[in-house]
Amino acid sequence: MASNNDRPVARGAGSERGSDPVARTRGAVRRYPGVLALDHVDFEVHPGEVRALLGKNGAGKSTLIRLLSGVEKADEGTVEIAGTALTGGGSREASQLGVATVYQELSLIPQLSVAENYHLGALPTGRGGLVRTAHMKDAADAALAELGVRVDPGTPVGALPVAEQQMVEIARALRGSPKLLILDEPTSSLAAAAVDVVLQAVTRIAATGVAIIYVSHRLNEIRQIADTASVMRDGRLVETVGTKGASSDDIVSLMLGDAASATEATARRTSAPATDRPVVLSVRELAVPPKVREATFDLHEGEILGIAGVLGSGRSELLRSIAGLQPPASGTLTVFGERLRRWSVRDMIRRGVGFTPEERKTDGIVPLLGVDENIVLADRSSVRRGPLLSGRRQRAAAAKLVSALSVRTPDVGVPVGALSGGNQQKAVIARWLHRGSRILLLDEPTRGVDVQAKAQIYELVRKLADDGVSIVFVSNELEELPLVCSRVVVLRDGAIAAELTGADITESAIFAATLADGTGSAAASTTGESQ
Amino acid sequence: MSSTAQTQTTPAEVQRHVRRLSLSRGVNELGLLAAIIVLYIVLGAKAGGFLTSGNQLGILRDAAQIGIAAWGMTLVIIAGDIDISIGPAVAFGSVMVAKGATSWGLGVPLAVIVTLLIGAAIGAFAGYLRARFNVPSFIATLGVYSALRGLAQFISNALPVPLPDSGFFDFLAGSVAGVPTPAVVMILLLVVFLVIALKTPYGRAVYALGGNPRAAELAGIPVKRIRISLFAVNGLLAAITGVLLAARLGSGNGGSAMGLEFDVIAAVVIGGTALAGGSGSILATALGVIFITLIGNGLVLLGVNQFLQDVVRGVIIVLAVLVNVLLGRRNRLTS
Repeated sequence: MASNNDRPVARGAGSERGSDPVARTRGAVRRYPGVLALDHVDFEVHPGEVRALLGKNGAGKSTLIRLLSGVEKADEGTVEIAGTALTGGGSREASQLGVATVYQELSLIPQLSVAENYHLGALPTGRGGLVRTAHMKDAADAALAELGVRVDPGTPVGALPVAEQQMVEIARALRGSPKLLILDEPTSSLAAAAVDVVLQAVTRIAATGVAIIYVSHRLNEIRQIADTASVMRDGRLVETVGTKGASSDDIVSLMLGDAASATEATARRTSAPATDRPVVLSVRELAVPPKVREATFDLHEGEILGIAGVLGSGRSELLRSIAGLQPPASGTLTVFGERLRRWSVRDMIRRGVGFTPEERKTDGIVPLLGVDENIVLADRSSVRRGPLLSGRRQRAAAAKLVSALSVRTPDVGVPVGALSGGNQQKAVIARWLHRGSRILLLDEPTRGVDVQAKAQIYELVRKLADDGVSIVFVSNELEELPLVCSRVVVLRDGAIAAELTGADITESAIFAATLADGTGSAAASTTGESQ
Repeated sequence: MSSTAQTQTTPAEVQRHVRRLSLSRGVNELGLLAAIIVLYIVLGAKAGGFLTSGNQLGILRDAAQIGIAAWGMTLVIIAGDIDISIGPAVAFGSVMVAKGATSWGLGVPLAVIVTLLIGAAIGAFAGYLRARFNVPSFIATLGVYSALRGLAQFISNALPVPLPDSGFFDFLAGSVAGVPTPAVVMILLLVVFLVIALKTPYGRAVYALGGNPRAAELAGIPVKRIRISLFAVNGLLAAITGVLLAARLGSGNGGSAMGLEFDVIAAVVIGGTALAGGSGSILATALGVIFITLIGNGLVLLGVNQFLQDVVRGVIIVLAVLVNVLLGRRNRLTS
């Protein structure tokens, strides 16, 4: 494919100032096995500009960032920093040219002090090679004060609130006086109230002439700090728009493109919502600080209820709290008519609630044990003979579920760690079916699973619901919610902000509801409002 | 991030992987068996009196001292923990039973029962520290190690406490159908622990929580209770070993069983149980117990300097673990 030179080069507000771009890509292409992650992207950003980078998961934002920060090299096209083309010298080369990146995951060492973290890798030393402690603290203090943060630089970083940790991270990125600062979802792990600190700091940094690329899913934040937003979709830079001019609806439709309407037409769940069926689980004003303020919703028998929300909205925390892993600060839970104020994992299991965690490998499976043992783990009473386990019954019970769920394994005795992610996931679901659970809480059940296995998991979930099992389905991939869910609630700013049912469950409606920016233009804040 | 990870594994790959896995397990135990046979051949040829029935029964008796505690230790290590307090716990048990049966006037049966109960209670206490407060088990049992050794010496004034004349102690010091009684106890307990490890929900839960404590917790397994019980069982086994030791020596001795924890842990690790938890085998530990005992016996018979014996044992345990680590690296789950 030749480079599309006729595509307009994205021009930001900074370009009007007549300055040279800090970073520029020309026809940048990046391929991964089987995926065109970046498709001839022309992008530039100018000094003092705050450029938002928007797009769904997999749209190519992360890839573009990796190219700009030198972590990866473009397969075709050029990447220039301050007028110098990157030659594949890694992140070191890019950082010498003035690129600093703050990734979503914090890279601080919690036990070390703020000052030590700030200087990490370059501690100021004096005579005899000893660390100049006082100087180190002063420098860290001054750097943080510039960003509008006051903390004692001697405090261990782990003792700070997450927002301030984030500020230490940003201050550290600024230590080398970069020309371009890339912030990859800096607020995704923050509670809504703590976001302002970060936003104010970003504005201050931009005022000093640093160019900033700001990745976020929160449209309201972007409106506050960014002049322009580049929207990516399917590896292409679709358009760069002024954030003041474009409505949220415009931006959402740019992000989704035509693809959304296409998938919406296919293979959606057609069965009627089960809201007339009895309520099996009701959650009332559940608070799980800091992210979930008060969540209230019901789950009906045989229903598949999706919970949507942007990364960091507290979806997983909410589900883990219901499962008994994280005691809520307040709120109640009613399970099969029994009202609970406090509950543990084992209480919930006993009442027929099964939870499959997001982190399958660290929380879900026991990799060295066989598929059969993993499946019977939550209930061994039915596979016993007297006080001893019966290997035969164990295998038989597991084999039944292995074939019902089409788990691909040469033998039920195979260590589950040897199976693929999708089959491991099915084994974890099978564990709760073996236990006879009537409510399943599935946290990102298709994460890290191949396309075919995804389809099988959707099929399985629908079949279970038809058999009367009630399911809560949490997913980060919005396009899968319309495929499986009969109802979707959206978690935003710590509460259930929207509910969608039946034909209103579309990717764009969910997407708009998760992003809603307070002006209400795109928010499906009431039941039934569609795109 | 950008695209979803593709973790497709073909059945052929899975099968290959599984074959490799079971092969390496077999290799470990076969290797140990081969090493034992080699030891028999070498010692039989070089060490005078090694193959006499007297020496062989002696080996069994010595093996019991390590083996009884090694069964429980295997489970503790599979669960991802460690108990380093075995030596002092055994010495303390031997002093307790001697004192109880003599100066405290409990009588022999009650003295034995009280000793076993206290042993289990002390173990449970260490387990409670581990399970309830997340005190690393190494530290919890390090504290027990120091306290029990001190207590045993204090109670006995650092002097042997003679046992009273008792048919029961004579029986424990004697033999059943020619086999030393401690060895009989060891073999009976071996069977019990084999069944526990392989066939009971409890035993399998130990493997599960050692392999992935979070998954085990989420599956409703009472992780804390199992942890406490594992240490309680270890304390009980150490107390049994202490009673047997007292019967054999004719006295309780606060300074006895020095360094026994080294042999016990070495036997488990040589048997291939990973200190990281999640995998291991009681049967392989039994081979490890035999291996360690043979080395000790052979070094004595060969007249190796007593201090150099420690050097040799140290080298051997590190080598054995090195082999296991290398095998394990080759066979790590590709998941």
